[in-house]
Amino acid sequence: MITAHSLTKRYGAATAVADLTFEVLPGSVTGFLGPNGSGKSTTMRMIMGLDLPDSGSALIGGKLYSELAWPLREVGAVLDAKAFHPARTARNHLRWLALSNDIPLRRVDEVLDQVGLASVADRRAGKFSLGMSQRLGIAATLLGDPGVLIFDEPVNGLDPEGIRWLRHLLRDLATGGRTVFVSSHLISEMALTADRLVVIGRGRLIAETSVADFVARSGGAVKLVTPDPAAFSAVLSAAGATIGHRDDDARSLTVEGLTAPQIGDFGSRDGLRVHELTPITASLEDAFMELTRDEVEYRPSAGAAATASEREGRR
Amino acid sequence: MIPMIQTAPSGRYRAKHVARSEIVKMVTLRSTAITVGFTIIASLLVTGLVTNAALHHGNRYYFAFDPTQESLVGLIVGCLTGGVFGALLITGEHSSGTIRTTLAATPRRGLLLATKIGVTAGAALVFFELLSFAAFFVGQVVLSAGGAPSAGLGSPGALRAVLMTGVFMALICLMSFGLGLIFRSTAAAIAAFAGVLFVLPLVMHAISEHDVRYLPTNILTNSITATVNQGQGVVSPGVGLGLMAVYAAIALGAGAVLFAKRDA
Repeated sequence: MITAHSLTKRYGAATAVADLTFEVLPGSVTGFLGPNGSGKSTTMRMIMGLDLPDSGSALIGGKLYSELAWPLREVGAVLDAKAFHPARTARNHLRWLALSNDIPLRRVDEVLDQVGLASVADRRAGKFSLGMSQRLGIAATLLGDPGVLIFDEPVNGLDPEGIRWLRHLLRDLATGGRTVFVSSHLISEMALTADRLVVIGRGRLIAETSVADFVARSGGAVKLVTPDPAAFSAVLSAAGATIGHRDDDARSLTVEGLTAPQIGDFGSRDGLRVHELTPITASLEDAFMELTRDEVEYRPSAGAAATASEREGRR
Repeated sequence: MIPMIQTAPSGRYRAKHVARSEIVKMVTLRSTAITVGFTIIASLLVTGLVTNAALHHGNRYYFAFDPTQESLVGLIVGCLTGGVFGALLITGEHSSGTIRTTLAATPRRGLLLATKIGVTAGAALVFFELLSFAAFFVGQVVLSAGGAPSAGLGSPGALRAVLMTGVFMALICLMSFGLGLIFRSTAAAIAAFAGVLFVLPLVMHAISEHDVRYLPTNILTNSITATVNQGQGVVSPGVGLGLMAVYAAIALGAGAVLFAKRDA
């Protein structure tokens, strides 16, 4: 379990993370979602003890990272896909890591096999593609079979097959009872992988919830097409719903606050005709956009080319 | 599902685990092989050239001749490569981002740094003692083959000079490691190192000639390696080695303070 309590980090005048409190629970994949520059990497670095918070704390199983007895047997993390020396081979990189935590050296070949790098184990890691580097980073996290796994943007550089593989791996790790914490700015990826979400914007917590609740919270509406819009509106309004009208089609209504079955039942009761009744479920993406609308730090000005500033990641 | 099998050994990771991993790190880098190989070749080559140049002179030339010193001054080139080696051990981690992986594996920074310094010091000491003895013997062979006066390990001060040269070179390596800790960038650390070693003496010479004797390269050539001729303008070998230890300690101390509190 990972617990962040009132975590705050400032870089000069800029506040990267502000009073951030959340929990990451075992047995599920928790997505860490936020726009670029929202403080995801900084938060993960503070969990790992790489950056020291200005106030607050981040604990792993109730301990500071630096207090862990065998860090690689307790936490596996990839914060930076290229965090290895380019001149060292993949096998040698994993060897020194294993030795540092008294992990049997046979694990080196096991994890190389597990991530599909066995055939390039003796090649210099600096020659690896970004996807292969990600796999080497993931191999390092699996070395000590830890109960907590932390990945910062792990799908970057992976090909579709790799993304699918990673998604299954993360799910498998979580089902085994581990705590899996994955940051991403790719909402669609999180929708497929995560059970729970911690959403931040500008270093502040926006939501901490399950994926299903997060989507539901942004509100589902129902599209109703009826030849009796005026009468139907009156009935539904009386039942407490909010009715939206479309300018181009008077017969089409957007109903919020009632479910499709409830609307259908009202129509049947009052003899009002229903031509179409479609629940409009908000996607995770819609929900995210809705919630972070005011929190995006870098936004292209109207008409300008969208060049996303990338402040996350390596500094 | 990947079931959890948690079988951690008792206790916690200790210096011996960090040391093992640091040794593997050191020997699996190409830069180690290159700097070590270059240091051996360059030092012994210069030793050969220096001692060869001391052959076939008139008797007056050999009046205050110091065969031990002649054979050891070639290690001055080892200062540069040894310094590069020391700096790279830490700057290589920072420039590649490996330092974050290292800190994730062994997060207690005090233990990590102490062990890293210990491993660096041990490796450098063994290597430079061997090199120092090698240079001594190569130099003496050249001198005696050419008919010039030569020394043996039993000659007054010779063994002391050879042993101290190895220690001095290890301290040079540690000072450079300290500069690497401070600057984190390879280019900056090596520039600072070369500045202290090779530029500062020139500047100091122009400002206060008298104080040049306190600088590392002068300590090596005039105090540590010398067995005769130790005149007024030179510090004694003991004082010289002590000063070098202080220089290394200052660089390491400042680097350690920064390493302990800086974000990785």
